[in-house]
Amino acid sequence: MRRALLAVLLLLSVPVRAEDLVSGISQDIIQITSNYTGTDIVVFGAIERADKARGRDIVVVVRGPDTPMTVRRRDRFAGVWVNSDSARFEGLPGYYYLASSEPVDLIAPPRALANYGIGMRYLIPSQIGSHHDARPFKDAALRHLKERGLYTEAPGTIDFLSETLFRTRIPVPADVARGQYNVEVYLFRDGEVVSAQSTPLFIDQTGIERRLFNLAHNAPLFYGLACVFMAMLLGWISSVLFRRPA
Amino acid sequence: MEIYLPVAEMSVPWIVMIALGLLVGFLSGMFGVGGGFLMTPLLVFCGIPSTVAVATTLSHVTASSMSGALAQWRKRAIDFPMAGVMLAGGLVGTLFGVWLFALMRRQGQMDLIVALTYVIMLGSIGIIMLRESLASLQAWRSGVTLSSRTVNRGWIQALPFKMRFRQSRLYISIIPPMAIGFVVGALSAIMGIGGGFIVVPAMIYILRMPTNVVMGTSLLQIIVITAVTTVLQATSNYAVDIVLALLLVAGGVVGAQLGVRVGAKMRGEQLRLGLAIVVLVVAAVLLWRLVARPADVYSLTLGQP
Repeated sequence: MRRALLAVLLLLSVPVRAEDLVSGISQDIIQITSNYTGTDIVVFGAIERADKARGRDIVVVVRGPDTPMTVRRRDRFAGVWVNSDSARFEGLPGYYYLASSEPVDLIAPPRALANYGIGMRYLIPSQIGSHHDARPFKDAALRHLKERGLYTEAPGTIDFLSETLFRTRIPVPADVARGQYNVEVYLFRDGEVVSAQSTPLFIDQTGIERRLFNLAHNAPLFYGLACVFMAMLLGWISSVLFRRPA
Repeated sequence: MEIYLPVAEMSVPWIVMIALGLLVGFLSGMFGVGGGFLMTPLLVFCGIPSTVAVATTLSHVTASSMSGALAQWRKRAIDFPMAGVMLAGGLVGTLFGVWLFALMRRQGQMDLIVALTYVIMLGSIGIIMLRESLASLQAWRSGVTLSSRTVNRGWIQALPFKMRFRQSRLYISIIPPMAIGFVVGALSAIMGIGGGFIVVPAMIYILRMPTNVVMGTSLLQIIVITAVTTVLQATSNYAVDIVLALLLVAGGVVGAQLGVRVGAKMRGEQLRLGLAIVVLVVAAVLLWRLVARPADVYSLTLGQP
């Protein structure tokens, strides 16, 4: 009886008192052109009906499209290092960037983080193909992804412009995969998510790059012949240009 | 100064790629080889995925061989029937190689097989050339002329399906040239090479072709093999990057012409000695990377392997 009363009270109070979040990104489409060498996006937002600043945290996560990953371990065989065991992971994003107002472990308990996939430790593959303990393989995958700049955790990188206004700058490196990304902004209050917003971000090739990529995949025969023709033509031109006067 | 490669899906400094084409083109023009055996490892070293490196290097070899073959053709130094017979074996070999390439990629042993093949091929050919060129340099210094090699092709003479090759002044079975063509075609698909450094010694030492037609004939067969392999790689593995190919070719054809100029001023033995050293250095570096403990025993492949 007391619990039911409490629930009703809580329900009534939520719409009135809850803090809310409004956020946006500086561009919702990134076009890869011939001189693309990576860019930055700015994620900004404001907290509405702000409560006290203490106990409030902001987490921004950018997730790339899911990419299958294969991790192989090399072992010494007859003096040569050869690939032996491997593990295959599906359902992990190909790009992961986390910006937060504090280290995530200080923001919320592991259960809450795992729920939302916040923190690369808490990312769980949807499928694991392995004959043995996959943990060292997953650790190795995270290590490589971090080294290649595809997975990043950047605690303390949310700039508060005022009590309720924030922004963060997220670098998008040159070798990210094309596809649909998601920019997620979470508002935590005392270790619980009270508001969240997700905005899609598209990364795509454009112009001549796009056309060449499409050609390579849709008309590979023509594309291959064009490569050969180009090579032969340049070879012929050079032999004519450099031809020694007889 | 970076340019985006649409198929490799990465950015590279374009000036470095042109310089790479120029350097390898120069060496290939000087030594009369395609240079694929240098280009593929160098591209991989620059961070290009090895499948793209193998498939794209082929265009570079096509272009530099084209420019050399035209010069030989003007001198009427191409044995067309011989090239045709070798190509018959070569095309089958290429199909086999592309199939093997896809199979190894699925098994995850592609890098190992490529590296082992390189070490064995380059190591043995490098040592043979080194010994031969040192011996003839020594002989030249002491003023002795080496007697020409004794003709011994007993088992080759015994094979059936003989054919007359007028330009090479040979009457031999078509089986050995077809077999050589097959091996080179397969290697071309797996390693991204034209195979000049295998074809030329094989023509001289196994088929006993006269040296003056060897260069032009091998270049012609390399052009066809690399052209076909490029198309096969484009259609079955989508691994040819035309922007990268353009950069490498542009540098390569200029470098090749400059290399030919320099090469013409040097003695044959010196050239072979230089090539032997380059080949052995590449083999040693690749061997070292196979036997040395890797910095990280785990490796990661993104996407479909």
